[in-house]
Amino acid sequence: MAKIEICSEITGSVWKILVKEGDEVEEDDALMILESMKMEIALESTADGVVRKILVNEGDQIASGDVACVIEE
Amino acid sequence: MPFEEQLRRYRDEEEFALGMGGSEKLARRRAEGNLNARERLDILLDNGDFLELGRHARAMRPEVRHKSPADGKISAIGMVNGRPVAALSNDFTVLGASSSVINGKKMRHLRDIADRRGMPVVFLGESTGARMPDRMGAPGRAILGQDPLEFRRMRRTPWVSALLGSCYGSSTWFGCMSDFVVMRKGATMAVASSKVTSLAINQPIDPEDLGGWRLHTGTTGLVDYATDTDEEAIGLIKDFLSYMPDHNGVAPPLAEVPEGSGEDAGKILEHFPELRSRTYDVRKIIEVIVDRRSLFELKPRFGRSVVTALSRVGGRSVGIVASNPRSKGGAIDVDACRKATSFLVMCDSYNIPLVFMVDQPGFLIGVEGEKLGAPGKIMNWMNALSQCSVTKISITTRKNYGQAYLNMGGGRTSDASACWPTADLGFMDPKVGVNVLFGVREEDDPDRFRELVEEISQDSSAWSLAALYEAHSVIDPRETRRYLIDTLEALDGSDGARVGKHRLSNWPTSF
Repeated sequence: MAKIEICSEITGSVWKILVKEGDEVEEDDALMILESMKMEIALESTADGVVRKILVNEGDQIASGDVACVIEE
Repeated sequence: MPFEEQLRRYRDEEEFALGMGGSEKLARRRAEGNLNARERLDILLDNGDFLELGRHARAMRPEVRHKSPADGKISAIGMVNGRPVAALSNDFTVLGASSSVINGKKMRHLRDIADRRGMPVVFLGESTGARMPDRMGAPGRAILGQDPLEFRRMRRTPWVSALLGSCYGSSTWFGCMSDFVVMRKGATMAVASSKVTSLAINQPIDPEDLGGWRLHTGTTGLVDYATDTDEEAIGLIKDFLSYMPDHNGVAPPLAEVPEGSGEDAGKILEHFPELRSRTYDVRKIIEVIVDRRSLFELKPRFGRSVVTALSRVGGRSVGIVASNPRSKGGAIDVDACRKATSFLVMCDSYNIPLVFMVDQPGFLIGVEGEKLGAPGKIMNWMNALSQCSVTKISITTRKNYGQAYLNMGGGRTSDASACWPTADLGFMDPKVGVNVLFGVREEDDPDRFRELVEEISQDSSAWSLAALYEAHSVIDPRETRRYLIDTLEALDGSDGARVGKHRLSNWPTSF
């Protein structure tokens, strides 16, 4: 089973986390909402799978390219 | 029977050619779930009928002539949905469909015919690269480059590629020169195979990391789509070709308008949030504007803050360049620039009018983008747009800030421009402007921040732009489909798109 790292596409802050570890998700599902450029921007899964690890907390700053969570296909 | 010996030879030669790499190799492919080169042509071409050129060609080297039917590349001219195409199907069971002197002649001949007749070329890729040992040493060098136009791309006719297995050498090169590329998951495309690469860099390498579908659809942007099967990949090729003209001397064919098209136009506002801080998926908005089932997005996993899609409005092919706030809030990054530029080049080459749907807060700024040459990519895009001679229509739906205003068809870079009443024009969001100009953040001093926002805010409404005749129209969002149909007819006439000047037709094939 491949592990896929879900990275932030933008620099901003983590506003709301929508999933928890162990949840099943599909490609394009919103995993968390980030706040950047005065907008609420969803961070979406790039694969179908199970959320194995969430590496950020609500309120954290996050940079473009940072791994926010890990999905196992 | 007269000529018995000659006719027997003919039958034997036919059997040899159609037997491809032999029953054992073909059975192995079947067991692995892979179609063979001729089965792929059967699926691509109407009724599986085609004129084959070079069926009896064989390898130049005598010691492999007995195992090189058609010399590993099957060259066909047939029809796709009643329209002519040339197709080249690589037969991996014959010497790995490696590139040789003879099959190189076959490829060139097929491309020449496609150019002269004016029909698209389809490459069904699966090949190992240069044939060994033919290309070894100075004699090997001497057979290369005998066709100086082998890699010249003038976009006289559309080219499409399917990457259906291990793709090295010609399948990679012609894939990269194609206007549309689809890849079956599990296939690989790279400069050299993982085996050769592992030897060269002295470390193991996974073929998927080297050239798998995730890399090419998400990171390099060299591939438009990945599919699970060959059949799906070939189906997408047919869909793509339906939006294209046969050649650049004519407009794309007008299609029947599917029943129910435009019926949901009134629902457009359901997909468009009132809160400016909310994002949305612009594809849902496009879907209710265009003809039913005619949204054909290119490179959906790459540069996602800009959607590039072929579509139809009132039966006409159009190319849509749309901000997608769902990704990066619609901020345009380097990949989105590369994608947009290649799309402009393609649409201009094949007489496809362009429609910009704009809701973008500007280019995505930052060190990462600068390292990737963002300014150069932005100017590539502007240069391309300045030379596009197809009709261009720009619709601002919400934010339209900064230099990107011009890249997305603002000012005189479009032939017609409209705004929704929700449009917001300016150099940057006033709230961001206060941060930049005065260094004041809302959370630090809300009252002062509000004062400064009011101070620097100008009238940035659609009405203000329309009063200056920079927006030619302000339209009800629910009337967008009608506006596009009427404007395309007004600018291009009722019988389809104009044939453009194709100033971009010799531009690079990737950016």
